[in-house]
Amino acid sequence: MDEQARSILQRIIKKTPSKRLETIIRSWNCLSEDQLHSLNYSQPKWLFLENLVSRCEENRVSLKDVTKLEMIYHIHNPNQGTWHACQLFQAEDDALSVHFTQFRESFIAHLEDVVQHVSVGMKKLEDGAIWVRIAWGDNFRKPNHLKPTYLVHYLQSSYVFIHNVTPKHRPFLYQALVLATRHVSIKECHLSSRSLTAMRDLLMKQYQQVFPTNQERTLKERNAPPSHPNIEREHAESSEGRHQMACEAFGCGVLPKLETAVYKLETRYRGNSNNTLNDGDELFRGVVKFSSKNILESLRHCVSTGMAEGPVTPLLSSITQKGRNYFVITDKVSGATASQTPAPKA
Amino acid sequence: KKNMLDFFILGLFISPGSAVNTPVRRPVTRRSKSYGRSCVEPPSLFWQTPGHLTTLGHRIPTSRRAAKSHNITEKVDPEQVALLLDGEWKLSYVTPLFLFRHTQLKLYSKRLAAFIIAEKQQGVAVEVGLEAGFRVSFSAVLGMAETEEDAETISSRPVFGADGSKPVWQGWLTCVNGDPEYLRSLPPDFTSLPLFCSRGAESLSALVKSWFQRTFDCSFGALGLSSSTLHWLAALWTGCHPAAGIRYLKLGWTMPTQPPLDIEYSVDPQDAWELWNSVHKEDGADERISVDEVQSFINGLETHFFRHFKIYLSSGTLTKVSTALGSAHHHGKIKVITINSDYISTVLTLLTECALLKTPV
Repeated sequence: MDEQARSILQRIIKKTPSKRLETIIRSWNCLSEDQLHSLNYSQPKWLFLENLVSRCEENRVSLKDVTKLEMIYHIHNPNQGTWHACQLFQAEDDALSVHFTQFRESFIAHLEDVVQHVSVGMKKLEDGAIWVRIAWGDNFRKPNHLKPTYLVHYLQSSYVFIHNVTPKHRPFLYQALVLATRHVSIKECHLSSRSLTAMRDLLMKQYQQVFPTNQERTLKERNAPPSHPNIEREHAESSEGRHQMACEAFGCGVLPKLETAVYKLETRYRGNSNNTLNDGDELFRGVVKFSSKNILESLRHCVSTGMAEGPVTPLLSSITQKGRNYFVITDKVSGATASQTPAPKA
Repeated sequence: KKNMLDFFILGLFISPGSAVNTPVRRPVTRRSKSYGRSCVEPPSLFWQTPGHLTTLGHRIPTSRRAAKSHNITEKVDPEQVALLLDGEWKLSYVTPLFLFRHTQLKLYSKRLAAFIIAEKQQGVAVEVGLEAGFRVSFSAVLGMAETEEDAETISSRPVFGADGSKPVWQGWLTCVNGDPEYLRSLPPDFTSLPLFCSRGAESLSALVKSWFQRTFDCSFGALGLSSSTLHWLAALWTGCHPAAGIRYLKLGWTMPTQPPLDIEYSVDPQDAWELWNSVHKEDGADERISVDEVQSFINGLETHFFRHFKIYLSSGTLTKVSTALGSAHHHGKIKVITINSDYISTVLTLLTECALLKTPV
C-alpha cells in the first residue's frame, strides 16, 4: 500500500464517525467476512487504521480500491464540501438515449484525449445518479488522488453537480461532459451549497410546490375595502393570503435545505425621497447575504408572518423560480424608475 | 524553569502629571454589601433597589464628538495599547470600587493570585489538570483618562502554565470620558471604572469577578450592546472612512423566523460614507454627531435594503456591526483593531457611557 493510498484511507477513517465505519467498510467489498469481524470499530481511530491497513495489505488492496472507498464515503455523505451546479443546454437528438456505459466510455475517452494522466472512477447508484471521481495529473505527473474532483449527474437531466474543480481543469471537464451527454453547451447555474441533496431537490423541483390558482381572488381581496365587520376573520383571511403567497414563492411542506443566498447589489440608491444621494447616478454598492439552516423555510416564514411586505419580490422568489442562490442585481437600463432585475453574473 | 508560584509580575506605569487622584483615606462607615455607592446618598435614593437606572437614565446624550484621530500612542505606552486592543473582548459593567488604590496594584496582584490558588485548591471553578503555577500582573495604563474625573485604566492578567509567556486570561477596567457630574457625585473612597473587558476561560473570569466583588464591594453584570449603541458605532466608524479606510461596513440582523434567518448587509465603504456625508452636517470646529443624523443614516441603509427585498429589518434584531476598524456584537463582545488604535477613545467613551447607564443605583 503506497503513501497516497494510506493517506486517503487515513482521511476517510478520520472523517467518519466510529459507529458508521462498519457500514462504509462493509459496502466497500474489499475485505472478507472474517476480516470484517476481526476489526474492532470502537478502537481509537489511529489503532483502527493500523489494523485496517494490515488487513488491506493482506488482500493486496490497491490505490484504485482505496479511491473506491473514498467514493463510497462521499456517496454516504453528500452534504459535505461545497457543490456547484451547472446546466447543460441544447440537447442533441440522441441525448435522451444516452445510457450509463455509453456515457462512461465517452466521458473517459474525451477526458483522456486532453489530459494525459487522469484517473476516473464512476459508479451508478440505484436512484439513477452517476457519481464520478476524477484525479488529475498532467503530462509529467501522475494523477493526484489527494485532490480529486467529484461530479454527480442524473442521465437525461440537464444538471450536473461539481465539487472541487480547479479553474485549470474546468474546461476539460466541461468539454467531456458536453460531449458525453450529447449536448452543445454547459453553463454555471450560480447555485452552490454544502448540501448536494438540497440543490438537486431545488433544481429538479422535488419539493411540494404551490401554483397560483386563485391569484385573482387574492388580489381582489387585498384591494377591496374592509367590508366584513368581523375583524378576527379578516385577520385570519389576510394571514391565510400571506401564507398562500409565501407558499407560492417558496413551496410548501419541507423544503430543500439551502443554507445561503447572496445578492450583489449594483443599483442606484433608493432611500428616503429627500436624500441628496437620489439625484446622483452613482451606484450604491453592497452585498446582502441571507443565511439560515434552511433559507427557503426561513423566507417563507418571514413572508407568511408579515415580516416582509407582499407581494414577494422577484429577487427572493428567483431562488426557487430560477434555481439560483447567487445574484448580481443591476438597474434596468431603460427608465428612471426601473425595478431591479436579477441579472446573471457578468 | 522558574517556579511561577512565587513569581509575580507587576507592570505599573506612571507618567508625570497624570490625572490619578488617589483619594485620601477617610474613615467611612460601611454598610450592607449590595448597595454600592448609594450608601451616603439621601435616603430616598438609598432605598432604591439595585436594578434601577442611575440618574443618567434620562440624560442619554443626543450628540457626540465625531471620532477624531487622536494619536493615543503619544500619551500611552504603545505596548499597553496593543495589549488592550488586540482581539475580542467580552464586556461587563462594574459598580464603583470601594477603597481601590492605584498605589497598591502590587498588593492586589499578590492577593488575586493567592485567591485564585485558594479557589483552585478547593477544586471548584477551574478545570482539573491545570498547573498551579501562575502569576497575576496588575498594571495601570496611564494616559487613557480623557478628563480629570476619569480614573486610570487598570489591566490584570493572571498568567498560567509553565512557559508563562502567553496569558491565559486578560482583563481590564476603564473609564474614558465618564459623565463628569456622575463621577463628581461619587462619595470619596469610591473609584468608578465602569467598563470591564475580559477574555479567557469563563471560570477565571468568574474568579476574578468574585475577587473584585469581595475586595472592593462592587458588583458585575453583563453589558449587552443595544441596537442604538450599534447604530452609533456604525456611524462613528463610517465617519472615519476618509481618514482611516474602513474597507467595508457590515451590519448583521437576525430575524425571528423558523428557522432563524441571518441577514448580513455589507456596504461599499465609499458609498456608505457618501450616505453618511449626506445626512451629517459639518459644523466647523466642534465636530459633533447628533442622534438624528445617526438615525437617518441607519434608516437610509434600511430603506435601501427594503426597496430591494421588502423585508422589514425592524422586526429583527441588529446583532453585529463591523468595519476594518473593529466589530461589535449585541451580546456584548467588541473587537478593536490595533493598527487603528487612534479611534479607540471614541469607542471607549461610548462603551463607558453604556456601562454607566447599566450600573444599578
